[in-house]
Amino acid sequence: MVQQDHSLKRLVTAFTAAALLSACSLLAPHSSTSQPPTPQMSSPQPPMSPAPPQSPPLSPSAPAPHAPSPARENHLSAATRSLVTQARTQVAHGDLPAASSTLDRALRIEPSNPLLWIELGRLRLAESDAHQAEGCGRKALALASGDRLAQAQAGRLLADALRAQGRNQEAREVESQPFMNSSP
Amino acid sequence: MARSKPHRLRKLLAVVGIALIVLIAFTGAWIVYLDRVVTRDFQGRLWSVPARVYAQPLDLYAGAPVTADDLEEELHRLHYRSGDPAAGPGVYRRHGGDFELHARRVRFVDELREPELVSIRAGSDSIIGLRHADGTELPIFRLDPLLVGNVFPVHGEDRIVLSPGDVPPLLRLGVKAVEDRRFDEHHGVDPYGILRALWADLRAGRVIQGGSTLTQQLVKNYFLSDEQTISRKATEAVMALRLEAHFSKDDILVAYLNEVYLGQDGSRAIHGFGLGSEYFFAKPLAELDVGELALLIGLVKGPSYYDPRKHADRARARRNVVLQELADARLIDAAAAKRAAAEPLGLRPPGGGYVPAYLDLVRRHLKRDYAEADLAAAGLTVYTTLNPRAQAAAEQSLARHLSHLDAASRARGAHLEGAVIVADPNSGDVVAVVGGRSVDAEGFDRALDARRPIGSLVKPAVYLAALETGRYNAATMLDDAPITLKLSDGSTWAPQNYTHEIYGRVPMVRALAESMNLATVRLGLDVGLPRVADTLVSLGLETRPTLNPSLLLGTVEMTPLEVVQVYTTLANGGFRARLRAVQAVLDEQGRPLKSFKVQVEAAAAPAAVYQLDRMLTLVTARGTGRGASARLPPGTIVAGKTGTSSDTRDSWFAGFTGTYLAVVWVGYDDNRATGLTGAAGAMPVWADVIASVKSASYQPVPPELVEDRWIGFGDGLETTAACSADAVAVAVPTGTPLPGKPGCGSSPTDTLTDKIKAWFNKTIH
Repeated sequence: MVQQDHSLKRLVTAFTAAALLSACSLLAPHSSTSQPPTPQMSSPQPPMSPAPPQSPPLSPSAPAPHAPSPARENHLSAATRSLVTQARTQVAHGDLPAASSTLDRALRIEPSNPLLWIELGRLRLAESDAHQAEGCGRKALALASGDRLAQAQAGRLLADALRAQGRNQEAREVESQPFMNSSP
Repeated sequence: MARSKPHRLRKLLAVVGIALIVLIAFTGAWIVYLDRVVTRDFQGRLWSVPARVYAQPLDLYAGAPVTADDLEEELHRLHYRSGDPAAGPGVYRRHGGDFELHARRVRFVDELREPELVSIRAGSDSIIGLRHADGTELPIFRLDPLLVGNVFPVHGEDRIVLSPGDVPPLLRLGVKAVEDRRFDEHHGVDPYGILRALWADLRAGRVIQGGSTLTQQLVKNYFLSDEQTISRKATEAVMALRLEAHFSKDDILVAYLNEVYLGQDGSRAIHGFGLGSEYFFAKPLAELDVGELALLIGLVKGPSYYDPRKHADRARARRNVVLQELADARLIDAAAAKRAAAEPLGLRPPGGGYVPAYLDLVRRHLKRDYAEADLAAAGLTVYTTLNPRAQAAAEQSLARHLSHLDAASRARGAHLEGAVIVADPNSGDVVAVVGGRSVDAEGFDRALDARRPIGSLVKPAVYLAALETGRYNAATMLDDAPITLKLSDGSTWAPQNYTHEIYGRVPMVRALAESMNLATVRLGLDVGLPRVADTLVSLGLETRPTLNPSLLLGTVEMTPLEVVQVYTTLANGGFRARLRAVQAVLDEQGRPLKSFKVQVEAAAAPAAVYQLDRMLTLVTARGTGRGASARLPPGTIVAGKTGTSSDTRDSWFAGFTGTYLAVVWVGYDDNRATGLTGAAGAMPVWADVIASVKSASYQPVPPELVEDRWIGFGDGLETTAACSADAVAVAVPTGTPLPGKPGCGSSPTDTLTDKIKAWFNKTIH
């Protein structure tokens, strides 16, 4: 009798545990590398991609752990897009210091947007400041994690910045990274 | 021998004559010399224009965290007035959350904006949208930058220079009536005034009147020392006469009003009525009422004796004497004098947009980043990264908490001091600096100059150095056990935990969150002191610390500003952004001097920094920083670290959100024990500052090859949120093998069937 009772308890525990396990596996955090690659986007003039007016959907402020969002896609908001346009106009007029201030302004609004860091890095290259361009490229690459298109753009910036410093070997290493193939 | 007499006389006369000629020649040369000094220097200084210093303008765009009330407050700060915007620039109209604004003509760092009509809709927590006057959508619009000060970048003084048109008539007449009644008649020196003063002094038996004219006072301030000698008096008189010969009475009076010494703000002298008005009343001179003007005029007689902040009664009495003199001179009527005499002094409360500590940093960064010759040019405009809202929040939080802590403290009569710096870690922009609890008191700038042991604020560098080796992760078990070290000087060192307890084997994440000393010392020694020192340097510490084991517990001394530089790199994913307070300097023609760009450099491995930062979020979620969360909006994720130096002499908190980084220090100036841990002293200030600047949660982009896993906070074993009450999510390199908790083990690589199989195997056998 006692024995039977015990095995019944075990069976119930087994079921509960199995249910829990399956629940756990749903809750279990995922690895960011196991994500499918970002669907490619055609962008005539990177990094100003045709973007919806809203800000990128940031992961909700759910408690930790941060489930890394599947594939990320970075966009510019209406405000930062207009600033990037303004900066490009300023570059076209040869006013690089003004363009730099305008991009600073955009970065204050979206500091984690790799597209803005890529834009700033391109400006640094135009100013012949390859060292700063390299910093922007590395920063953009880190922020572009999960966004293959942005990664490829950041990688190209980084490679250009390295080449401008005569570091061709490092540039080639960057270009051989897998994400570099996802360019449009 | 008779002829020798006239001969001697002739000789004597000749000697005297030559002496006289020499004397006259010397006197003449001396006067010519003084004349040159007076004309050259006076001309140079009379029209020297200080650099105008502006704060970061507020950007408005859909989603900007600015409420309707915030917006109106900002418009008031910028002296926009409510009315009909069609009337002209500088006017706005508000209906609920809808604003119509006629923006002024503004020179920004990158463009000149002409006056413009815009409409803005603000919601209860952010801006909803903006439109041009013609109804088309406006994606982004910035308000005028706030003028926060005037500095002479080369000699470091700040001054608000008045031109003749800026001087209120009552000030002009009042200063003459009180200080130098015969100013318009004399030629720089007033013999009648000297006699009168002498007579008054003789009758009183001591010096009560100076008898100096305004011109002499000006000369003394400009060119001479303070000593009271006959030769200095003579020099002063000659210079005063020469000055009057070359310049108009009005030039001299205006120069006097710009130069006169009115008070002391720590190491900074308050010269001139323009700055005096700003310093004492936080208003432009033109807006002062009769009583306020009288107070300033009265200060000329004895700026420290009548200092209204230290000796309010003396200052009030002096003001009322001046009011009476103004009434006697019929400059104001007796009734107005009487009314004004009954008013309070009207001093500006602390935190009124007056930012000496921030300007201090601006001056240092100007010197650091610009050529001195460029800075000497007149009429520069300095664009800073100051955020006036963050600055006000930091000042108020610090003052409020220090008062509470003082009241609760047993150290009677001692006053805690503190410092706060707020920065944008992404750009390195310093947005607020508070150098002490009272913005006005003795001007020691603790934020920039107080160098103190940082205590456990050093621990993140130790853990980062460990993570960078690749041999450690958040779940690695450390040994929190007693340790005794023999130091190079022969002494022994036996550190203890703050709680005096011993925790035994603990996972790294918990050792950091609960700031365990023994586990940290063992970890740091295993990683190696040189590596820890290197990590601190690459994070941004300028001088490599001495390789002493006590480095691991933060005996290294840093200023709050240096801590900000180091933590900026942690908050910025391992990228070091050089701190800056100056965004750009434009010359008089609006051309940039040499714009200082955002400088970002890779300093630490992003994946290692990400793992560390995730652990730092657990400091505030579960560790010594728990108390911070209660003061923040629910669900806000912040990363931070408490720091307490030995004997609780220094209480620190350094932490960051997605938008801001803030570092707070609390302690006594004389370095005595505070009895406060970092969590008790600095952290509440930090949390209040962060809550009031509307920061987004800290949610960094996860790097590649790093994944989230659940582990037990106590035992470090891999588990699930459902399986263990103390499960915490940590970031570890993808695929790191972690020992599982029996009965819970879950790893993302296992399939569900694997788990069930494993579980059945366990239960059956």
